[in-house]
Amino acid sequence: MKTHLRNFLVLLLALMASGQISFGAGETHFSAGLAAYEAGQFEQSAQAFRDSLTNQTAAGTLRNLGLAEWRSGHAGAAVLVWEQAAWLNPFDHAARSNLAYVVEMTQINLPDLSWFEETSTWLPANSWTWIAGGSLWLAVALVTLPGFFRWRKAGWHQTVAALALGVFLLCLAPFVGLVTRSNLAIVTAKDTALRLTPTQAAEEMVSLPLGEAVRQLRQHGDYCFVHTQNGDGWIDRRQLSFLCPR
Amino acid sequence: MRVHFFIVLLLVLSARQFPTAHAQVLVNPTADQLIQIVRSQPAVNISAPVSATASFDPPLVQPGEKAVYRVTFNATAISVSWPEKLPLPAPLKCHLSASGQAMQSVAGSYQMCATFDYEVRAAEAGQFTVPAFPVEVYGQPVVVPAAQLEVKTDLPEPHTKARQLLIESSATNVFVGEVFNASVRLLSSPGGAVEGLSEVQLNGDSFVVDKNSVRQSIQMIGGNGRNGAAFIYDTSVTPIASGPLKLSAQGFTSGNQFGGQIVISGQVTIPGGPPSMLLLDSEPVTINVRPLPTESILPGFTGVVGRYRSDPASLATNVLKVGEPVLLTVVIRGEKNLGRINPPPPPRVPGWQVFPAVRGAIVPGLGTTNPGASFQFNLIPLTTDPRATPAIPFSCFDPALGKYVDLSIAPMPISVLAGDVLTNADLALMLSENTAEPEAKISLSKLAPTPGWTAGSLVPLQMRGWFPLVQLLPALGFCGLWWWDRRRRFLEQHPEIIRRRLARRALRREMRSLELAAQNGNAAGFVGCGISALQIATAPHYPATPRALVCGDVLQILTTTECAGRDGETVRRFFAVADAAAFATAAGTQTSLLAEKSALKEILLKLEARL
Repeated sequence: MKTHLRNFLVLLLALMASGQISFGAGETHFSAGLAAYEAGQFEQSAQAFRDSLTNQTAAGTLRNLGLAEWRSGHAGAAVLVWEQAAWLNPFDHAARSNLAYVVEMTQINLPDLSWFEETSTWLPANSWTWIAGGSLWLAVALVTLPGFFRWRKAGWHQTVAALALGVFLLCLAPFVGLVTRSNLAIVTAKDTALRLTPTQAAEEMVSLPLGEAVRQLRQHGDYCFVHTQNGDGWIDRRQLSFLCPR
Repeated sequence: MRVHFFIVLLLVLSARQFPTAHAQVLVNPTADQLIQIVRSQPAVNISAPVSATASFDPPLVQPGEKAVYRVTFNATAISVSWPEKLPLPAPLKCHLSASGQAMQSVAGSYQMCATFDYEVRAAEAGQFTVPAFPVEVYGQPVVVPAAQLEVKTDLPEPHTKARQLLIESSATNVFVGEVFNASVRLLSSPGGAVEGLSEVQLNGDSFVVDKNSVRQSIQMIGGNGRNGAAFIYDTSVTPIASGPLKLSAQGFTSGNQFGGQIVISGQVTIPGGPPSMLLLDSEPVTINVRPLPTESILPGFTGVVGRYRSDPASLATNVLKVGEPVLLTVVIRGEKNLGRINPPPPPRVPGWQVFPAVRGAIVPGLGTTNPGASFQFNLIPLTTDPRATPAIPFSCFDPALGKYVDLSIAPMPISVLAGDVLTNADLALMLSENTAEPEAKISLSKLAPTPGWTAGSLVPLQMRGWFPLVQLLPALGFCGLWWWDRRRRFLEQHPEIIRRRLARRALRREMRSLELAAQNGNAAGFVGCGISALQIATAPHYPATPRALVCGDVLQILTTTECAGRDGETVRRFFAVADAAAFATAAGTQTSLLAEKSALKEILLKLEARL
């Protein structure tokens, strides 16, 4: 028994140490990215921030990566990571401000969000899921547990259950909005053509600029049927980067 | 045609390379006149069959030396479906260095000429042939003829080198937005003839080239190993991104045809005859562009970069009336880029309505004074309170000093008289416009000092595979609770189930003790356990406490046959012996019961089956 406990503790410590090392490496790359950016070496800075993201997905790192990509002339990549930063931390107004700046500079279109998608931007993406799940099970628990355990039914049980159920119902819209927002993608390749059919030789309807937001409606082979503010059509999947990596 | 010039001569050549507008000034021309103008222009020949030429310049080089593989079509560049990879022999390394199109005069008409230049270097000596290959032009296949390059290690010096342009920049270490001059030069041929350049283009990402500041000249220069005349194309370039940026130039040789004004100085030879439109390019120069410092930005910075200073502002009058506009003129002086200076934004000052600046004419410089860009602000005093015009913050970044310089327009003393009475609504509107918060200027954010909020993944939780399983856990928990509650209520309705279950459990325990006592030859223990087992197995049928049951109670549970037979006899014997042991000394009888173990066990099994 003691041996098992010791092995378990050693494994736990090793896991914690590896996690610390991983986070430590992320911090090192982050600092290197800051230094390179301050020195005007934006390509190196972007690479350092990308390395940091492989260890730790963080909103601040995404924001800084966007700045480095923008300074390096990669507008599409900048828009993508700023959208991801806003996805991760909607209270970070800097990312939104940067997106507004890019829109003003390049006249691209940002995602056109429906009302339930708009509500999903009010809180960090995963918060809605936790709130919806927690409120649902709280309501179920307050309704059923007094009966199971023969507690005296109190008024506050029903009040809190009703409130929790209400919160759950309110969370459903952003919950769905998150799922539909995950179909949003950014054009990150130059000369991306919106085609009439999903083939290389298909007629080009319009050329989309770097950073343009599209919404995937369905997929056929290597091509995605997308909705853009310039119309609907097919785009080579390799020319897109989704907000939620797939 | 040989021309001698001994003093600097300004020669203005009209742009005769391309058709120019009709000399007659037409005010509101009619449709017929426009058609006439169009018809008077030389025709552009687009019906001639498309052909291609290919050659190496020079055709003989040393290993590692640059040669230009040049392919020319008499078609527009966009009509040529140029392949991404050329069928070059393996030892030749190449990359596309320039491509462009120009219009050339051929037999009284104009013809498009599209050229693709590849920089080619051979790693080893030998004779290399680029085979003929087809290219699609206007949707039709056109064969590019074969071209040959000979590479020799023992070429005499000097030998003919690839003809190319030179590019020189006035600065190679600049700030974003700082204007510098780029000079594109085409040296004279070895015979001394100087050709002009047309369709000059500066290539490079993140540069803005000012086409309005182009200056062309032919001058004697030294360099490239020899002195001689050169055609020089000067222009202003502004970098708009930071980092090491490459800048190169390309242009078509145009012989004696010069577009626009040109200054010729010195003794030069200009070749006659129709020009050969060769596309030349230059080696790139690297411009190290530094970002503007983000610290200590002064108020009113609108992106102006350069050495500027502001003249004292001039006011149309210093005695104003409420509600009447007055003109404030500001002149910003500097050497370069005056036409691109963004004026300072109008300040929001209580008591004043200030309109955005209107760009005025360029003010010429006098003596050592630089020319300046003038701006005019319309100011309207809203009350009689102001005693001076509002200060207008303005600043620029001086690249020579490496810091921001204050060019703010200082307040000027004034007197404001009460003018026509404004209505309350007018005054309220003007005051509200003036005191409203200025629209926030959108700009890029600063760097985040820390990584900030973290997450394992950007994929939403509900789209991860484990999420339904995690949600299943509380669901299973509640299902388990429901089942437990239902079972508990059922058992409350049927307590005999519990009693029988407990009795079975106790009976098995007693049977194990019975077995143990029999093995040890413990007759008293054996009898005690046997009686106890019989009582336990019978108790749930009444229900009653097992110890309260007597022999008759046990016999009632047995069937009539069993009761009359051996089983009944065995039960009676056990209870009789137990009673005798309890109330008399009959140890010997107890011992004899050990032989009844199997019969007792059989009875107990029957009773257990009835539980």
